[in-house]
Order: sequence, then structure tokens, then C-alpha cells
Amino acid sequence: MTSHNDSALPSLNLEKPQCKRVLHSWLKIQVEKECYQQPHNGLILMQILIGILFFVLVTRLWYLQIQCGEEFSRLSRENRLRQERIFALRGRIMDRADKILADNRADFGLSLVREDCRDIPATLTQISVWSGIPVSQIWKKYQQDHFKAKSFEPILMLADISFDLLSRIESEIYAWPGLKIVVRTKRSYPQKYIFAHVLGYVAEVNEKEMAEDAALAMGDLVGKAGLELELEKQLRGQKGLYDVEVDAHTHTLDKFLKKEPRNGNEIRLALDLSLQQTALEALSGEAGCVVVMEPDSGKLRALVTSPAYDNNLFAAGISKRDWDALSTNNRFTLQDRSIQSAYPPGSVWKLVMAALFLEHGISPGESVFCPGQVKLGKQIFHCWKHGGHGAVNMENALVASCDVYFYLMAAKIGIDKIENFAKASGFGRPTGISLPHERSGLVPSRVWKRHRFGKPWVRGETYNISIGQGYTLVTPIQIAVYVSALLNGGDLLKPQLVEDGERVVMGRLPASAHTKNFVVNAMRKTASSGTARMVARKDADMGGKTGTAQVVKLKMSAGDRRLRTSEMEYAQRDHAWIATWGAKNGKTYVVIVMVEHGGGGSSVAGPVARKIYDRLFGVEKNLTVKATQAQ
Amino acid sequence: MDTRLFSYINWSLLVSMLLLFLIGAGNLYSASGTRLDSGMSFSSFYQRQLVWGICGLGCMLAVMSFDYRRLSNLAWPFFLVVLALLLLLTMTGKTIYGANRWLSLGFMSIQPSEIAKLAVILLTARILARKASSLGWKDFFTTLAIAVFPCVLIVIQPDLGTTLMILLILTGMILFHGLHGYVFKICLLFAPCAASFMWFVGMHNYQRQRILTFLNPGNDLRGTGYHILQSRIAVGSGQLWGKGFTEGTQSQLRFLPERHSDFAVAVFGEEWGFIGCLALIILFCFFLLAIFSTALQAKDRFGSLLVAGVFFYFFWQIFINIGMVIGLIPVVGIPLPFISYGGSAMVLNFTMIGMVLNVSMRRFMFFR
Repeated sequence: MTSHNDSALPSLNLEKPQCKRVLHSWLKIQVEKECYQQPHNGLILMQILIGILFFVLVTRLWYLQIQCGEEFSRLSRENRLRQERIFALRGRIMDRADKILADNRADFGLSLVREDCRDIPATLTQISVWSGIPVSQIWKKYQQDHFKAKSFEPILMLADISFDLLSRIESEIYAWPGLKIVVRTKRSYPQKYIFAHVLGYVAEVNEKEMAEDAALAMGDLVGKAGLELELEKQLRGQKGLYDVEVDAHTHTLDKFLKKEPRNGNEIRLALDLSLQQTALEALSGEAGCVVVMEPDSGKLRALVTSPAYDNNLFAAGISKRDWDALSTNNRFTLQDRSIQSAYPPGSVWKLVMAALFLEHGISPGESVFCPGQVKLGKQIFHCWKHGGHGAVNMENALVASCDVYFYLMAAKIGIDKIENFAKASGFGRPTGISLPHERSGLVPSRVWKRHRFGKPWVRGETYNISIGQGYTLVTPIQIAVYVSALLNGGDLLKPQLVEDGERVVMGRLPASAHTKNFVVNAMRKTASSGTARMVARKDADMGGKTGTAQVVKLKMSAGDRRLRTSEMEYAQRDHAWIATWGAKNGKTYVVIVMVEHGGGGSSVAGPVARKIYDRLFGVEKNLTVKATQAQ
Repeated sequence: MDTRLFSYINWSLLVSMLLLFLIGAGNLYSASGTRLDSGMSFSSFYQRQLVWGICGLGCMLAVMSFDYRRLSNLAWPFFLVVLALLLLLTMTGKTIYGANRWLSLGFMSIQPSEIAKLAVILLTARILARKASSLGWKDFFTTLAIAVFPCVLIVIQPDLGTTLMILLILTGMILFHGLHGYVFKICLLFAPCAASFMWFVGMHNYQRQRILTFLNPGNDLRGTGYHILQSRIAVGSGQLWGKGFTEGTQSQLRFLPERHSDFAVAVFGEEWGFIGCLALIILFCFFLLAIFSTALQAKDRFGSLLVAGVFFYFFWQIFINIGMVIGLIPVVGIPLPFISYGGSAMVLNFTMIGMVLNVSMRRFMFFR
């Protein structure tokens, strides 16, 4: 095998023989001397490797494509299909005359898309020129947010742009690629303070709410207080869905409507804007509340708490400073006093006690002598009138609001019957109004006292209870429901905020028609000649009962004279109540006014009630009402 | 040229190679498709691949035209030229994707590290061909020493994939040739030490990161983990029959990274499913067996070693690339022969096959 065929040697054209020799040695075919034997192990190795290649790859492919194929198929679908929500408009809220109380407004914002922006520093400077916000602040916002957004996603730079600014930006925006005006919906409350407590507000959903409701997602607005919270399900509507086909850079390729959005229901309230306004103005900033209710239907025509807040602050995302101002002031601005606060009712409670006495066989004609005070053991219980009322029967006692009559009669009846009657009349439990966090108030009892203080009931406490002092606590709305029941034949109605709402009977007043008529008549007399003269009108049938609820035990000054309201600490001043009804031209209303730490019922709460009747029935001409400083 | 030579050509190798090339070009057509709002847009990758293929065929024919045994003489000068080019590259050269791999010749760019593989195969074949018996310690280290220079120059580019390929090819050729039993056993014991040396000294941070990510893809869902996951989703979602030609959503919607180069087979898996993949792997195995049959038939040691070198060159690329795409092996930048896009690699693949065909053609030229 030393010789071989060399047919494949290319012909070479070399001039220099020396060079030729060198090249020849390079190109000479080297032939192995011995007979070549294939490396056996090496060949087996190659075959094994091919086998391994086949089995390993095929097994793995089988696992991926057959075993887990469906799972990966799902992942691939999810890769390319995104679901995009279509927001449903939240239902609007109107008053009974269709005046808008809660609306959705467009909020114009300015957003920046980095990818399209040629010169970011210049653009940010321009935003500062438009908005008047210092450049440094705009830069700070940009630096905070631009990590969260991909280069083609918009970053919101300005929100809530005014119309003037919007038109200016719109006319100049063409010169700034990358800037875009975006529209979002926001909740607005055009009546601000007037409906703040009733409507409540919406704000961005928190994690707890999202965990409880699968329909909610990050950034949604949900009701947090008032009707916005209570009627959330009706107002919210249902979001729609788009299936959006995207590529890896989340550029949208195609959109398919998967579910139509359904807007929230519009809700018309029974409340009356002008009446609410009158009530809020009449309270003139005092802490207090007004309830106006139609006794026959249970519909609320006004439900006002003062001081009020601007609920737009919450809808826009409240600033820390505003929140601190609202939540830490000593007037508890955020509290709805008509339903979320319970107070001692004072003499207004006598309306309940009188009905109770009648139902327990005490004759209206039975009189009691009031010497101005009554002794029980070592304790002395005063009547509000220092000199006493002399002999009083039930009607006189109500009209003049004689305390001694009620002390003695209540002692006869006993706490157990008082408790039962009060509870049956709707006290000590929520009225069922469609607002969150309604308080129950408190009807004390032997059991309650033992449980609460570990002590037995004493007689003096029954005395206190009889005039609406002591442990008794009621909410203004409970008084409204009770007075309405006196007028409507005994139905304890659920106070209805929605105009189309049904009349819901929560219970029956355990009193005969005779009893109710007696109490109503007594109220009529109190309004015409008693302590509630403040609301008396010639053009309407009126009734009322005032109350002055002591917050602390009666304080006497050194000269054995009661302190004037202005001389007392604010937190120690009496609560002023007036519970009234009025009927004119077939329309009957119940108006309850409570002024927290206001002082005397007739002098403080009375004028507020009067202004409300003026709004309801029209202002009486040429009538001089003597503002009497009777209790 | 002797016409009888044609009858000795390993036709099954040629045919399976051409089939792979056509499948690759077709797959590249689909992989280059991008769905936009307005419809599909195809870039010209497959056309360029076809042009490169024709260049490759030319190189293949050129390599087949002379007796392969002459290559043995060229082994040293070729090796030195490649070393020189690699050295040149460390001094000049374009930096692309953070790696300095391309040498600009003015009209085109070449990747000297690709040619280095060929040079190492040739030189190793030449050196091993002189040894009739299994390798002892001395010969073993002599052979390894050849690879040290190009490997060091390539690893500083940095291009771990090519370095790894060169070492693997060399290992394959040494094992094919045969080692003394004790050398082999001691090497096996030493392997873990070498591996830990590589991990702590030889690797860049991003390379370490890739291996860590491979072990736990959830760690890095935006980076390498994303590649691994998206590639698995692509292959897995092909299920049994695949989504159909040019219907792969993972590739068209650009979820799949590197879809015409290293991850091209993921596009194939997505569109042709398990059936298609099975066929492709069978074709690759057939292709490797065809190379193996030439190694079996070669009548001299140099030819046999040359074919073995080519065998390992293809074997490792196929195994590592597909293994990487289907999540068996960490992500390393190694393309799949004939399927992935790449000019230099395509020309080199054809050249390699040309050498195998050369050996098969001339297998009866000795005892005539």
C-alpha cells in the first residue's frame, strides 16, 4: 500500500522549483503504514450516544407536549390573551325632585408615554409651565412612577385638569409627542356638605374589600360610608370585559367584546334638597341634627347632621391634612348624629312615659301635687321648675313638662314595665334605616344593670328614667319613628331614604288609639300653649314636645341658682331637643331637632324646627312669636 | 476526477443533510413571521439562509474535490492562522451583545471561533492518527494542550458556548480513539474538581446566573427564566399535532426570544407538535448514523478520526441545543445545525459534511 492513485491531486503551476518542493511536501498524502483497525470501543460509544440522544429527547418531548401539553396550551393562551375591564358607570343619586346629588364626572389628566417622547426633560419642563407646579416636583413624580410603567404605558403626570388649562394644553399638545390627555371617571357630589352624611363617599378599594368581593380589582372605587356603602351593590353595576390579543410587548393586536358592561342603577332619594339646605342652615354650624319624616309612609324628607364635611374630598382621595382635620376635631364631624349617636332624650321621653301610663291604667285625670321637688330617702329629686307646678294631671304634666308627676307615676309602674314598653316602642334597637353603623341606643333594665355594674336596680333610677335622664339613650331617628307611630295609627316604620322604597313596618306601637290620641292632643296643646310654643302656627295643625337633656348632674352655682348655658363648659352643656309634628293641606310631617350641648330645647332646638316648618308650609305673615324661655 | 468516486458517496448522509437544511429554511420562514395589526410580516431570514446554504454547498464541493488526506498536511498551518485571527480579534473587533466575536473583513464579518472548531478537529485527527494504541498520560496531555490556546482566546471574548463545544469535541475524539483504562478512571475522578474550578474561576457572573436560573426558572421570570419558560410553553403548547405551519402564537407574537437562532427548534415544536419533533429527531439520528457509518468504513485512522470529530461536532450541538430548548440543559448559546439561522455556522456545517463525504468517497482508494 505504498503506492496509491493520486487522481485528486490538483494540477499545480509553480515556477520556482524550491517552492514546489516545499509545497509538495505539504500536499503529499501521508499514508499510514500499518493496516488500520477501527477502534471498537469508539464505535460503540457513538452508537450509544445516538441512542441516548434519541431516548432522552423523545422522552422529554413526550413529557412536555403530551403529558403537560394542555397546561402549556393554557399558558400559551394566557400569554396572548389579556382581559381588559370595561368600567361600568356608577349609578347616579338624585333627590326627590331629580336634582343630582352624586354624579360621575370626567376627570381629565395628562399622561406621558416614554417611548413616544423625544425629549423627556423638556417635556417635563413644559408640563411644569402649563400646570404651574415646580419642575423639581414633576421630576420627582416622574422618577417615582416611571419604574412601574413599561416604556409604552402611560404615566399619569397631572390629574383633575381644569377646563381652562385643558383647552390651553389641547391647543399646544401637538408639539409634544408622548403627551396624551386621558379621561377617567370620578365621583362628584355637587351638593357637598348638604348630603355628606347621608351619601357618604367612595374611595379606592382596599385589600380587605377585594378579598371579600371577587368582582373588585385594584383601583376600583367603592362606597365607604353612607348610602354609597349601603347601596353599593345597586350603584356599582357590572364591569364588562374585553379579550385583548397582545404580543410579547403588550401591543394590542385585536379586541373582542366578551361581556357588555352594565351600568349601576340610578337611585332617587326621598330627601328634598331645599329642605336639607334649610335644615343645615338652620343648625348654623351647631353640632346637631334634623330629621324630617312623613309619618304615614316613613319617607325621610330631610336627614341632616351638622357640622358637615365635603365628601368630594374623599372621592378625590383625601389628603392627610384634610383627614386629620376631620377625624381629630372634637365635634366628630364624620359622625352622622341622627343615627350614629345616642343621647339622653330629656323631656321628649315623657311622650313615651305618658303612653305607658295610659296603657297601664293610670287615669289621665289623676293628679299629683308638685312642690318643686320630691324626696326619696336622703336624695332630693328636683322638678325643673323651682317653685313647683302645684296640682297637675297627665295633660298638664305633659304640657308644662312637670318632672315630679313623672317621678311618682313611674315609681308606681316600675322599671320592668317601662323597659318592656320602651322596647316595644322601638327603642333600644336600630330602626332599620338603610345606612351603615346605626346605633341602638339603650333602654336600661334590672338585668342590664346587674350585668353592667353588678348592682341591683334602685328606685331613684326609675325616677331618672321617667324624665329621660339616667341611663336612657335614644337616637333622633328613633324619636322620629315613635312620633310617626303616634300619628299613623301605631306602625313603627323603617325610615325610608329611597323615594320608591316600600313601606316597611318594623313593629307595632303597643298603645290603643285612645292613648295615641291623648298624647297627640297633649303635643298639640304643648305647641299652642306649652313649652313648644316656638313652633305654633295659625295656618297649620301643630304639636310638639321639647326636651333639655342634662349631660352632667344638675349644677347649682353658689347662690343656689342654675348656671346659664353660656356659663358652662361646652361638653357639660345640655342637649336641646324638640320633637314636633305639623299638618297642613293633608300633608303631615314629623320634625325632630336635636342640638348637641345646645342648651334649652325650646330656645335652641325650637327655632330650628320653626325654620323647617316655614320651608314646608311657607312663612307665616305678620305673626310675632314670643320666644319664651320656658324649659 | 474519477467518476467512480460518486458511486461511493454516502448518499444517505447527503440526503438527510439536505432534508434538514430544507426543513430549517422552511421553519425559518415561519419563525421570521411577526403578526402585526395589519397582518403578517415576514423578514428575509429564510432567503439569506438559502443563500448561505448555497455558499455552504460550494464549500462542501470544494472540500470533496481533493483527497482528504491532504488535510492532514494543512492541519498545522491552518491551526496557526486561526490562532493568529483569534489574537487579532482580542485586539480589534466589534463588540456585539457584550461579546467580542466578530472580525470585520470590510465586506463581511467572520467569526474566527467557528473556524477554530474545524482547526481543532483537523489537528487533533492528525495528532491522534500517529498513535496506534490507546492514549497514555503523555499523549493525553499533548492532545489537550492543542486545545488550550484557542480555548483561552475564545473564552476571553467571552464565548463559553464555543469553548465548551471545542472541549467536548476534543473529549469525544479522545474517547473515540481510546484511552488507557487508568487514565480514563483518574479523569473521571478529576471531573468534579474541574467543574468546580470552572464555576468559581472560569465563568462570568451572567453564565453562573444562567445555570442557577436553569435550576430554578421562577427566580428570574423577566430575564433568562423568561426564555426558558417561554420556550417550554412554545414546545409544550404544540401538543400532539402542533398548531400548524406559521400558526405558532408564541413565535409570531414575539413571546419566544431568539426564535430564528438558538430557539428555532421551539418554533418547530410549537407548529408541528410531538409528531413533527419525533420525525425531526429521527431524521437527526439517521443523519448521525450516516456519519457513524462513514467512520466505520474509513480505511485509515486519520479519516476515521476526522469523521468522528465531525460526528461529535454535530452530536453535541444537536443534544445541547434541543436539550436547552426543552429545558434539560442550561441556556448556552449553541445553535442547532441546519435549523438555526447563522451564516458562518451554515458554511461550516456544509464544510464538515463535505469532509465526511470525502472520506466516504475515497474509502476504496487504498487497495485498488
